[in-house]
Amino acid sequence: MVAPGLTGPAPAKPRWRGVALVLLWAGVGVGALLLLAKSVQNSGEFSRLQPWILLLNIIGVVALTALLARKLTQLVRDYRAHVPGSRLTARTVAIFGALVVAPLLIVYLFSLQFLNRGIDSWFHVEIKQGLNDALVLSRAALDLRVREYSRHTENLAHSLVNASAEDVAQRVYEERRATAALEMAVYGAHERIVAASLENPLESIPTRPPPDLVRQVGERRAYVSLEPQAGGEYLIRTAAPFTDSPTRADDRYLVAVYDVPTQLAALSEAVQRAYSQYGELAALREPLKSSFRLTLTLVLLLAMLAAIYGAIFSAQRLVRPVQDLIEGTRAVGKGDFGTRLPLPSRDEMGFLVHSFNDMTKRLRRAREEATRSQRVVERERERLAIILARLSTGVVVVDRELTVSIANQAAGAILGIDLSAAIGRALPQLTAGNERLGQFVAALVVRFGAGREEWREQLDLDGASGRRTLMCACTPQPGAERSGYVIVFDDITTLLQAQRDAAWGEVARRLAHEIKNPLTPIQLSAELMRRRFLASMSPQDAEVLERGTRTIVQQVETMQQMVNAFSEYARAPEMRITRFSLNQLASEVADLYRSHDPRVEIRLELDERIDGIEADRGRVRQILNNLVINALEALDGVAAPRLEIATRSEQAAGDARYAVVTVCDNGPGIQRELLGRVFDPYVTSKPKGTGLGLAIVKKIVEEHGGRIDADNRPEGGARIRVVLPVTDSTRSATGTRERRGELRREIV
Amino acid sequence: MLVAIALAACGADAHADALDGVLEVRSAYVSVEGGVFLLHARIEYPVNPGIRDALHDGVTLTVELDTRIERERRFWFNADVVELTLRRELDYHAVSDRYLVRDVRSGTQKSFATLEEALTDLGTVEDWPVLVEPQLSAGHYRISVRAGVRRGRLPASLRALMFWTDDWRRVSEWYTWSLPG
Repeated sequence: MVAPGLTGPAPAKPRWRGVALVLLWAGVGVGALLLLAKSVQNSGEFSRLQPWILLLNIIGVVALTALLARKLTQLVRDYRAHVPGSRLTARTVAIFGALVVAPLLIVYLFSLQFLNRGIDSWFHVEIKQGLNDALVLSRAALDLRVREYSRHTENLAHSLVNASAEDVAQRVYEERRATAALEMAVYGAHERIVAASLENPLESIPTRPPPDLVRQVGERRAYVSLEPQAGGEYLIRTAAPFTDSPTRADDRYLVAVYDVPTQLAALSEAVQRAYSQYGELAALREPLKSSFRLTLTLVLLLAMLAAIYGAIFSAQRLVRPVQDLIEGTRAVGKGDFGTRLPLPSRDEMGFLVHSFNDMTKRLRRAREEATRSQRVVERERERLAIILARLSTGVVVVDRELTVSIANQAAGAILGIDLSAAIGRALPQLTAGNERLGQFVAALVVRFGAGREEWREQLDLDGASGRRTLMCACTPQPGAERSGYVIVFDDITTLLQAQRDAAWGEVARRLAHEIKNPLTPIQLSAELMRRRFLASMSPQDAEVLERGTRTIVQQVETMQQMVNAFSEYARAPEMRITRFSLNQLASEVADLYRSHDPRVEIRLELDERIDGIEADRGRVRQILNNLVINALEALDGVAAPRLEIATRSEQAAGDARYAVVTVCDNGPGIQRELLGRVFDPYVTSKPKGTGLGLAIVKKIVEEHGGRIDADNRPEGGARIRVVLPVTDSTRSATGTRERRGELRREIV
Repeated sequence: MLVAIALAACGADAHADALDGVLEVRSAYVSVEGGVFLLHARIEYPVNPGIRDALHDGVTLTVELDTRIERERRFWFNADVVELTLRRELDYHAVSDRYLVRDVRSGTQKSFATLEEALTDLGTVEDWPVLVEPQLSAGHYRISVRAGVRRGRLPASLRALMFWTDDWRRVSEWYTWSLPG
């Protein structure tokens, strides 16, 4: 039975149709067999249908054979193709077949033997002999009477030879009555009736003598015959010529017909009937055997074929749930958990199939649950990846061998390497050519080697582009195995710089404020002292005073300048943005310093694509002045001093365009330890410098939304690179804090 | 194996040429008397010791005379007008040592001292009414006569089983002539 909604390999309808077909065939077969068996026993009733019954049985045998052949062929094909369940089916069919066929064959052979012997026993020798004896007895009984009548007829005929015609008639009449003959007649030549007497008064003439009687009497011989009649009666016909001598010309002869007594006739007829029937049956002995053999064989064949067919059918029905289970198991093995098997019955197999269906249902649910969880995890992972990618903090996850399993973009940017390509590789393998990463890895190795797994420290990494400061935190990866570490780090270089800048700004403002105020009274006091006392003093004293007050005034002025410089550094400027030619400005600055110090070769390399820049012209000039002054100071004492000013136009991402100004010299370069702090105030390697030149440059550049960096050229000498936005809108887009002035165009 | 068993079971050891001898319609004609067509025929039936022995053992022979009258058609099969069978039985009466010839339909019987006489009687058909004139219309008619002998009084069931092994069954060729118009 198939429950609704379940998928099964065998639909219900054809199966019922098959069962109905088998039942129909079985009914027809059994009916035909019964008819055949009955017809053999009772020929009269079923004789008409006999050929049809036989034909039906033969058709049944042929049809069953064909069906069986088809089934067996299919079975063999399945067996060879290793179809699931075919071996079990074959074995079951073989067992069923053997169990059915062997007893059937034994019964068949026994029945055949029994049949032969049984039929042979009907025709036993004693029966035949008994019948023959009865026949002889009957003949003897009748023969006695026949001879008696024959002799009587002969005697009567001889006695009538010399009698007159009237006497003959009289004698015939008397004798017929005396002997109770049915007829008595005297015939002359050509079968002419001379005299006749009949028992039946309705008949006028006697029956005509048969030809053999006439012929025999014509030969002067007596005639006698016993003639069976249709109703089981007998007539004794006797005839005798009047004279035996062939020489005498008397053709007359007497014919007498006698009745046989009823009882004797009946007994004789019974013996005759038995003899005849026995003879007929004896003649039919072999055909009878054949008939029974054929019937038996047909019965055997039908029963055997039906049994084998039934065995195959039953085996397939039995094995069908097992096949379903095998197919279902394979489907589950391939991951198809939607397989539902049809429930065969309510027996143990049904329970097994039900359990299988239950299992697949649970498996399907579990898989759906797992898929859902996996999807959630994937979503979380994607979200985490997005967060990691957008994070400015570097995150690297490594195992104990420092093999990278997770790294975000920020980590790569901070360490100066594409870490996304380094997933699965050990960090120490990636350090070649990357000094900063080498120092980072060395720091990790030192800490892990010391057994420290959880720490938070600041790491300073030196590189060609300067020192970077990282705030680095390491935590063992969560989980029982502690298989690795999560390293999180921030590049706090800029933050530290900003903090330093803010501190310096505050210092400068305070210095300017605190120092500037006393300077003027000091200067005024010194000048007052000089005016007041110089004229009235002795020349020696006057000279001392003169020198002293001049020194005071000079030093105060120097201090004034210094305070002004601090003030300049600390002030919050108001920018006046105009559009001007950067190349022209660079040329002007170069010309100014060429004339100032002709010893130094100043080269200009200007990019013609930069036609104009929106910036505070005076401050940009200050940048160039400071940079050139800084370079000239660095070139002091250099054999062939050379200074290069270059401008270049750069296209950044999007439409943002930048003007890059590079100032290089062939001086001693920047000391390595100062590289990261060269733009800090009071960081200088020169004896004369205030230490504020580059700090102010950096401040102006940042106010314009640009950036500045310094490094040493490979061939020697320092290189400072200033990047300025070309347009004011670009600067605004960078989000740099500034106070914008009114944009005025300057005609150059 | 089953087929072999079946063949062995069915194989009847029948007599060879049980009805050996001449079986033919020697002559036949019809006469018309009072609108009735009467058939006259002379038939020779086979006689041999085997038949005699079989009769003496109790076997009954059924002797048949099939008559078929057809109307001839030019472009199609002939149309059957009449099909008749004269069926008689010959057996041996052991008590009286005589041969009996019995007309199956009428039940009348005759006895003969010898088999030859009995066969002569069987082979002589006189005045057998086969057709009346109203059955005929215009056209040509053909009349065919055929004689047959078989082992008689066989149960029909056995006859059906034995139809492929029974050599106690023979029929003569058709003896055909045109009916006088």
